[in-house]
Amino acid sequence: MATEFHNLQELRHSASLATKVFIQRDYSDGTICKFQTKFPAELDSRIERSLFEETVKTLNCCYAEAEKIGGQSYLEGCLACATAYIVFLCMETRYEKILKKISMYIQEQNEKIYAPRGLLLTDPIERGMRVIEISIFEDSGSTSSSSTGSPSSGTAQ
Amino acid sequence: MRRSSAYIPVSTAAALLVTSSTLFFVFTCPWLAVNVSPVFPPCVGIVFLFVMANFIMATFMDAGVFPRANEDEDKDEDFRAPLYKNVEVRGVQVRMKWCASCHFYRPPRCSHCSVCDHCVEDFDHHCPWVNNCIGRRNYRFFFLFLLSLTLHMVGVFSGGLLYVLDHPENLWELHNAVTLVVMSVSALFFIPVLGLSCFHLVLVARGRTTNEQVTGKFQGGVNPFTRGCCQNVQFVLFSPITPRYTEKLSERLPLHIQPPFHQPESHKLSQTLPIKSLEEVDAPDSKGLTCPPPLPPKPDPVLLKNHLAALEESLLQSRALMLSGHSMNPLQTSESPTKVLYQVPRDQMVSRISPLVPQEHASEPSLLQPENHAIALTLNSRSLSLKHSSRRGSQRAEIPHASQSVLSGRTGSLSYDSLLHPAGVQAAFLPMDPGLSHGCVDVQRLPARNCSPVFMHINREPSPVRYDSLPKPLMSSIQERREPDDKDKPLQDSGIYDTPSRRSLPQDLRGLSSSRGPTPPAYGSREFLLSSAAYGYGSRSHLSSSSSSSLTRAPRTTGSPLHFNRSLSPSIYQSLDRQSQLPPSTLPAPLPTSSYGPQKALAYTRGGERPEPEL
Repeated sequence: MATEFHNLQELRHSASLATKVFIQRDYSDGTICKFQTKFPAELDSRIERSLFEETVKTLNCCYAEAEKIGGQSYLEGCLACATAYIVFLCMETRYEKILKKISMYIQEQNEKIYAPRGLLLTDPIERGMRVIEISIFEDSGSTSSSSTGSPSSGTAQ
Repeated sequence: MRRSSAYIPVSTAAALLVTSSTLFFVFTCPWLAVNVSPVFPPCVGIVFLFVMANFIMATFMDAGVFPRANEDEDKDEDFRAPLYKNVEVRGVQVRMKWCASCHFYRPPRCSHCSVCDHCVEDFDHHCPWVNNCIGRRNYRFFFLFLLSLTLHMVGVFSGGLLYVLDHPENLWELHNAVTLVVMSVSALFFIPVLGLSCFHLVLVARGRTTNEQVTGKFQGGVNPFTRGCCQNVQFVLFSPITPRYTEKLSERLPLHIQPPFHQPESHKLSQTLPIKSLEEVDAPDSKGLTCPPPLPPKPDPVLLKNHLAALEESLLQSRALMLSGHSMNPLQTSESPTKVLYQVPRDQMVSRISPLVPQEHASEPSLLQPENHAIALTLNSRSLSLKHSSRRGSQRAEIPHASQSVLSGRTGSLSYDSLLHPAGVQAAFLPMDPGLSHGCVDVQRLPARNCSPVFMHINREPSPVRYDSLPKPLMSSIQERREPDDKDKPLQDSGIYDTPSRRSLPQDLRGLSSSRGPTPPAYGSREFLLSSAAYGYGSRSHLSSSSSSSLTRAPRTTGSPLHFNRSLSPSIYQSLDRQSQLPPSTLPAPLPTSSYGPQKALAYTRGGERPEPEL
């Protein structure tokens, strides 16, 4: 209930989700995974353009690297065929390794750059690689409630 | 859930393949090993193993299914969004269609499988013989399955032929008979399998999918997705396998997002000039939430959004005014699913309300003080709502009416809360964004989320229109706007990539809306929603009785019982689906088997998808 909130907040500032911005895919080079680097207007007041562009460009590079058809992908393909695809059960493919790297990168970016600005990047893989979702939070301000409230801490439903 | 009859073709195929091959190995191979070559049976065995491996991979591997979009992503798109969105791929204009089931614009080459009821990346077709969609992730396995099966059939048939020719007598003896049966099965299915293999060889060489070939997408135009024959083959066979999109991901560390937030330098400077900042901030807002490639014009979605946001604010503030004798957050003393007034520092207030305050009210921020911001916001938003209502002539009377009715309705169902949440339960929105929690946060739960923020206090501001909480007649009107999708569907993708066609509301469907109660304005948009919400609000009793079923977001999670028209999620439109189902006229006689996504014409092969593996 509402009264339960007060004990958690006390005099703290709190954040609430204001809106979400979706960075769409850039299909100008075909169906390779690439996101638009166009700076959305909603972030204009929240983050520097250069930081945002750097994040997206790094992500694009990582995805391009993952989808590159070269020596390692040939090797993986041939090995998979030779082992009747059992190798997929044992080994992690290069793409999966790069995806893990990307997810670490996004986590790090969130911690260092986006969270202090009240933003949150969502890994595109969670959205089917269609969009990069950026949640924009706003400061809902500190509360100076005079209500007593119940001592139990409220929990999310 | 698929019907059990969907498993018949795949079971038949698997059974035939395994049985025939086993019989061949048992009855014919011993003689072949001795009399022809000892290498012959192992080669056939290896090829058979390859066939089975590819068959299993094609059957069980996720084709590249897109998870459905969250409501947050499509809240701007569902209303009045054009059916098609143009995007340029290597200089060629490609049309992305809005998927009504999955709630996003389908990426290029993506298509919605009506059998499986999901969108698949680089959709090729739905193969009943493996009971799976063939798409980006498993196309190579399907292709290799076809090639290897052809080879296997050749091997089995030739081995059997050698045996039979060497034993012309005693044709009805067991070994002979079995070999003959196996030979005839392989001969019977060899032609269709060979045909299909050749067809896919051509497709791979040209860089097309079956869907594109069958619907004639590139007949007159250029295929922007081809990279040349060799590169295409290389792409199909050796490109890295993309990840599953629908997998549950590993847990991440929770992230703390706590104000005060760091502001960019440019923004800090702009705050010293409030009027200018309002101008700057206001203008970019008009570009809308996302910045997609140029779209056909929408009717001022940002204005509508601002309008709604303003209305909400005004309702919010009016309530705050009523209870202003109490604490700063009077709403928090009332029922839980309420919004909290933004208690922002003054310097942030300017930018905060700038989306709401148009340029004409630039002087308003000077009135703001933390203790009076509630009142000021009310004034601002009301003036805004009036400003916007003047643009929507018919809305003028309704918006102040809404405000009045809210003011007068302090308690009971006629509160602004029930305007926003007629269901009265904010928990209904929980599935929308699992990354947030409503109310107080249970920190222990958060590690289960990915990059989930930890909030000390969470009040999720509802999206300007929470349409799953809107009265059902409104929902029905919204859904009716999707009905043209039905009419479009049989003809969809039948032409080359061309200019987008705007979704329009057919005249005959407007009469349908009138049968559902008070008729809202014919154009489907937030403006009519707002007006309907405002006036329908006062007459909720008879509106609810005229509602129709399943018009909320429920269809998002439930699969449609239809198997012939999956692109439309609400099952209520079954009758409309049947009416709108048109025979695919552009293609020759359809075949009874396999459905290639929404298209039903399968004349690309004479035998259809029947690579009956016989051995």
